[in-house]
Amino acid sequence: MITVSSLTKSRAQVRVLDDVSLEGAEGTVTALVGPSGSGKSTLLRCLNGLETFDAGQITIAGHRLAAGPHAPGLLERLRRDVGMVFQQFNLFAHLSAAENVALAPRVVLGLSASDARARGLDLLDRVGLRSFADARPATLSGGQQQRVAIARALAMRPRVMLFDEPTSALDPAMAAEVMEVIVELARAGQTMVVVTHDHGFARRAASRVVELAAGRIAREGLAGA
Amino acid sequence: MKSLLGAFAVVGWLTAATVAADLDEVVARGELIWAADQEGGGPHVFPDPADPRRLTGFEVELAALLAEELGVKPRFQQGQWDRLPLLLGRAADCVINGIELTPERLRDYSCSRPYFAYSLQLLARRDGRVDAFHTLAAPGPEGRWRVGVLTGSAAESVMRSRSDLEVDVIGYDGTIDSLEQVSSGVLDAAVMDDCIFNFYADRFSRLRTVERPFAGGFYTILTARDTPKLSAAIDAAIGRLIADGRLKSLYDRWDLAGRQQMLMLREGAEIPVARRKTLGELVRDTLPLLLKSAGMTVLLSCLAFPLAVGIGLAVAVGRMHGPRWLKPLLTGYVEVLRGTPLMLQLYAIFFLLPKIGLALPAVVAAVIGLALNYSAYESEIYRAGLKAVPLGQFEASLSLGLSKWQALRYVLVPQAVRIVMPPVTSDFIALFKDTSVCSAITVIELTKRYSVLALSTGRIVELAVVTAVLYLCMSWPLALLSRWFERQLERPAAGGTEG
Ligand SMILES: Nc1ncnc2c1ncn2[C@@H]1O[C@H](COP(=O)(O)OP(=O)(O)OP(=O)(O)O)[C@@H](O)[C@H]1O
Ligand SMILES: [Mg+2]
Repeated sequence: MITVSSLTKSRAQVRVLDDVSLEGAEGTVTALVGPSGSGKSTLLRCLNGLETFDAGQITIAGHRLAAGPHAPGLLERLRRDVGMVFQQFNLFAHLSAAENVALAPRVVLGLSASDARARGLDLLDRVGLRSFADARPATLSGGQQQRVAIARALAMRPRVMLFDEPTSALDPAMAAEVMEVIVELARAGQTMVVVTHDHGFARRAASRVVELAAGRIAREGLAGA
Repeated sequence: MKSLLGAFAVVGWLTAATVAADLDEVVARGELIWAADQEGGGPHVFPDPADPRRLTGFEVELAALLAEELGVKPRFQQGQWDRLPLLLGRAADCVINGIELTPERLRDYSCSRPYFAYSLQLLARRDGRVDAFHTLAAPGPEGRWRVGVLTGSAAESVMRSRSDLEVDVIGYDGTIDSLEQVSSGVLDAAVMDDCIFNFYADRFSRLRTVERPFAGGFYTILTARDTPKLSAAIDAAIGRLIADGRLKSLYDRWDLAGRQQMLMLREGAEIPVARRKTLGELVRDTLPLLLKSAGMTVLLSCLAFPLAVGIGLAVAVGRMHGPRWLKPLLTGYVEVLRGTPLMLQLYAIFFLLPKIGLALPAVVAAVIGLALNYSAYESEIYRAGLKAVPLGQFEASLSLGLSKWQALRYVLVPQAVRIVMPPVTSDFIALFKDTSVCSAITVIELTKRYSVLALSTGRIVELAVVTAVLYLCMSWPLALLSRWFERQLERPAAGGTEG
């Protein structure tokens, strides 16, 4: 499902990613760990084309990314199949929770407004927020916002989900409720790459743990190893 | 001590400049300050083509002769023609600039004995449909005839009072603007003093005089009512200039038929003094006109502003997300429109476009001019608004598979619009007030109507109050509306996703 080979990227003369290779089979959860600045976010953002890279290549959900700039059409197709959840949630501030979830199905997949809303409500139900469908993001707690963000990404029925420290901006109680949702997804067989500092999660839900240090893979192994 | 004397001199000069100066003060000052509009053009007062820093014209020479008679030097004071009388007692001792002797002026100012006889001439294109004065009595193929005049001139009041003619009278701020517009086909005809057309005839070879002059009267020199000695001295001086032939030879030098002028000046004028209207009559006669012009103000703002916002938003998006070649073009668009005065832009659209075959009605030109000018400001506001939307919103949109344009359309622009609502609504009120600039291209909105009515009735204060009330009646609901708007949009936009 995911193949990264010899990925290299420099930023201002610094090698942020240095010959990174990685495999992620269908239905597996890859945990990306490592110290701050080691290149975890950069690697994740390369996986859905938010960042370009200098050498190597990526195959993800059947799409191939090569070094250098990507064609917009390729990225749009790839991103339908690869969802992403951000540390800062990034919910659309002017839309309600349900509208946040329904926007992409309506605009990108061309669903009717009512079908898109139905899909949105289903997903909010799945993350336990059905009753907050019409709430604006600003009125939700951080944990609730992140669960809406997960529902929003799932609305495209992606084959791969990418998470960038989904719980780092949350206090422990809220982090737990978000982790619950992610663990649930893992059980359901969703292919995922999760950047995290939470070793507990890595042990509990990940199939493999990959540790980055200074842009290189320092350790790689089965969870719990 | 020296500085004390200096201070006295300044105070003395200030009082001299702000209180109507009668003859003694003019003599003491050693200068007769006469007001005119050099933009009004020839043959009256205009910049010398050979040396544009120097003024020339038959009235420049007349002013010099009069000053000489009073034993002082002449000093020129520039003013907008239809507002020259307002300078009396403030910045000028007298007005010498083709001011026609009318019953209203006799009522409001001290008018000298006539110094020049003018005749009103109808002008049209050689290949146009207006070939006789009576053509104007029946509607033309496109309805009423469009006839240009100088705002505030006798030509304007004569043409407006001719209810027997099927004409729309359009007032211009510049004397020869109407000639330009007849020449380019925007107007069917123009009416002005024959001496002006004679002076510019070479430049407008496509135009011709239609029949002989159909009306006429006299020019007078205006002085303030409270400077009787100055008024008398000017009258006496004109008398001497007529008697000893200096005025005749002056007119002959300017090709103004001196002999005929002298005959007509000796005949003199019997012009009644207008009666002062009661307040009731004043309101009854002016309110409908003021209301109509207020409607024009509202119309211009409500048409121009949505256009400005639309164009501004498109320009902002183009500059931030458009193709690379487009960006410098849009930056140029914004800088040119912001860096040049609205007045100039309106002029270009209204007076220059017809020269390349694109003649727009004044109201359309005004709406386009206002919209383009304000679009530059709106685009800068929207650019700031788009920048204020967190980058994460854009990345989240892209990561869901939205294209750049979809992200803009559904996520970035809606948020930017909310962010910039306060500055945009305050710009709407600014545009509302800027509509008054459109009078430069013959659109009569409220401010222009006020100034025309105030000058023709001499009721500057009363009409100012009525006009101010009308402006308030319009801008108050506007302010309420914009505040309501802000409240509506603030609710959902409050806070961010950073929580
Ligand atoms: N926009 C940027 N411009 C320049 N350098 C950047 C930028 N973003 C990240 N970097 C640098 O790239 C390197 C990798 O950053 P990255 O964000 O991928 O690390 P990370 O492992 O996600 O760290 P953290 O745990 O703090 O999120 C770091 O040295 C960082 O300073
Ligand atoms: Mg990171």
